[in-house]
Amino acid sequence: MKLSISSLSKQYRRDFWGLRDFDLELGPGVIGLLGPNGAGKSTLMRMLATITRPTEGVVLWNGVDIVKSPDILRAVLGYLPQDFGVYPNLTGLEFLEYMAAIKGLDARSARRRIEELLVVVNLVDVAKRPLGGYSGGMKQRVGIAQALLNDPQLLIVDEPTVGLDPEERVRFRNLLSDLSGERIILLSTHIVSDLEATATEIVILNQGRKLQHAAPEKMLELLKGRVWQWIIPSTELPALKQKYVLSSAVRRADGIQVRVVSDSAPEPEAQPIPPCLEDVYLQLVTTDGTH
Amino acid sequence: MKTLRILYVLARADFLERTRRYSFLLMLALVVWIGYLSASGQFRMRVPPDYTGMVNSAWVGATMTVTVSFLLGWVGFYIVKGSVGRDYTTGVGQIMATTPLSRPLYMLGKWLSNFTVLAIAVFILVLEGILMNLVLGRASFNLLALAAPLVLIALPFMGLIAAFAVLFESVDWLRGGLGNLIYFFLFIAAMAGSAASTTLGAPGVTVNPFVDFAGWQIIGDGISRAAQAVYPGATGGFAFSISSVPATKLFPWNGIQWTADIFLSRLFFILIALGLVMLSALFFDRFDSAGLAPMKKQMKKQVKKQKLSSDLAADAGIAALPVPPAHLTHLPAGRPHFRFDKLFMAELKLFLKGQRWWWYTIAIGLVIAQLLSGLEATRILLILAWIWPVLILGGLGWRESHFDTRQIVFSAPRPLLNQLPATWLSAFVVIALAGSGALVRFLLAGETVSVLGWITATIFIPSLAFFLGTLTGSSKAFEALYLLWMYLLTQKMSMFDFAGLTPQSPWFLYALLSLVLIALAAFTRQRQLRSG
Repeated sequence: MKLSISSLSKQYRRDFWGLRDFDLELGPGVIGLLGPNGAGKSTLMRMLATITRPTEGVVLWNGVDIVKSPDILRAVLGYLPQDFGVYPNLTGLEFLEYMAAIKGLDARSARRRIEELLVVVNLVDVAKRPLGGYSGGMKQRVGIAQALLNDPQLLIVDEPTVGLDPEERVRFRNLLSDLSGERIILLSTHIVSDLEATATEIVILNQGRKLQHAAPEKMLELLKGRVWQWIIPSTELPALKQKYVLSSAVRRADGIQVRVVSDSAPEPEAQPIPPCLEDVYLQLVTTDGTH
Repeated sequence: MKTLRILYVLARADFLERTRRYSFLLMLALVVWIGYLSASGQFRMRVPPDYTGMVNSAWVGATMTVTVSFLLGWVGFYIVKGSVGRDYTTGVGQIMATTPLSRPLYMLGKWLSNFTVLAIAVFILVLEGILMNLVLGRASFNLLALAAPLVLIALPFMGLIAAFAVLFESVDWLRGGLGNLIYFFLFIAAMAGSAASTTLGAPGVTVNPFVDFAGWQIIGDGISRAAQAVYPGATGGFAFSISSVPATKLFPWNGIQWTADIFLSRLFFILIALGLVMLSALFFDRFDSAGLAPMKKQMKKQVKKQKLSSDLAADAGIAALPVPPAHLTHLPAGRPHFRFDKLFMAELKLFLKGQRWWWYTIAIGLVIAQLLSGLEATRILLILAWIWPVLILGGLGWRESHFDTRQIVFSAPRPLLNQLPATWLSAFVVIALAGSGALVRFLLAGETVSVLGWITATIFIPSLAFFLGTLTGSSKAFEALYLLWMYLLTQKMSMFDFAGLTPQSPWFLYALLSLVLIALAAFTRQRQLRSG
């Protein structure tokens, strides 16, 4: 099972590329996509999901070009877009039956799969109610369920935890971990903690280009010994912001506890602390020359 | 001053949003076509049976006015309607609702935007009239005679249409397809009533301009008197039709005799339009979703209850509430093959879902009535039975974009070859079932042309719906065209008879056209899939 992306580009206007010369080789595991708004995450995902045609480049699924033969991938693809709708007059159950028919599942497999998925996404109690009355989080869970209907080998989920409450977020993380063994899962999110919990590889994008691709541990090594924390008076915060990239600033009784990335100790009282993914992400994106 | 500024900004933003849409280009094309047909004499005003005015600036201006009143009064409503609905679906309305913007001001802004779009159409006609007059050069050019009826009669009428569009959008149940349907019948009834006045040209009888909203009676009365002056045998009256045969009984007409009453009446209709806008403000719920249907309310309660418990759980700390591990069994190793019958049934369910019991009752009642009636009555009942599902047919071809399910539906295998035939077939089955009573009657009576026409219609109707839905990304084009078409069927106009209801029906041409429409719909869908 292999997804190979080479020189993938998408041009929206003459002077604007949503994605530029993007290369990536992916095998089974959870691959997290991180990047600021407009970095090209959704563009990349839409091209991999065969929705958008690339301007340049090739995407191979097990050696087959998905632009020329999209149905080869579609048969084993699960896709949860960032924004999507549902048919309000159908019940949750009927919508999943409809999507199962579209995906070509036979009746028996579809029935069993839908029953399991309704349990997994915690929608059993409302499965027979029209989708028009569902909350945003419930619709999102219907979206997750439809993406998993065909037991996909490639699962692409764009901001899947948006609108989910904390309990459902944990449930979804567990689900991804359970599923990750024998399939490729591409997960885009702004919630770095979701990636810390599940991702086996992380790709950071900015302005349509790949900035970094590595395992989380390798990423953390990039900033080993370069993250510092100390407490400053609140009046010094604006000046510090001018000088360093702040990973966090937490107000405390004795001042503001700040966390910055620097090659050497910024202040004598600053203590080195272990880096987290958020530090790496902010450092890479803010120091990127094009930003 | 501040209010005027808000009004201007509101109308401007809405206007710009519309002008950057494909439908605006369609409207411009329609207007240019209307102008050409009017100025070239193919759209023709007559004094029955066949007295026609000589082509001059006044005649062209009046013909354009009558044409634009009819065609833009009908299609223009569908073109401009939808801006309030868009604020609902995009969520912009909810943001607006949190601002100090008042209901009347919001509605006035929408009306102004609607009116501007329609007014542009009228001014394009004025320009086209000037151009055609210069190109054809058939009579001396008189700008005032050409433009006055368009500006003083058509423009206030467009204001009225713009106000009706706002009114229909302010009432929840009139905002969708049902409103489109009701407007069509109201419009046809109103225009037929306006044109059917029997006193036009009658000695000693004058037209009351305060009831003549479209201005047809003012124009009709003027041309009737002009015809009678040349042909004393003419009895008066007014007709409007399409004709390519050169007119022979010509009379000169120098335009409308403008009176203070006529000017005041046109102002009166603008005031009526503004009154309708204020009435809309009363009905408008200001994007407050509290007035949901009882089922939705019940559902909301349940969701709220569920959310509360989940919020409580969140507050208690998610670590304290262990989430059970989620497990899914694998599907069999061999990937299942696509089953068309399953998808067809799913599409049929989706197609019919949401209809209430009375919808089915009436549909079945119409089928039974077709079976039990005489042949002529059956034909009328068949038209009614095929009009009945117009609102669900209007969803064909653009349902995925309307409900924003494109990305998940189109990323399934073979979206064109699997889904399109299944969707089309579900509509075909509904149309066939709705007209099944008539088919039995035609077969029993040995009406071969009617049977062939029936088959053609069951193919043509879903194909037309699919094509227009795919092309325009809206139900409005289909709803507007289909209703007019069915109205023409009731008038037994053979050239529009795709259903074999008249002996001269060119049903075979429509059978061919159906195939072209299906091919075009598939081509358009394919392009949409490729462009993502």
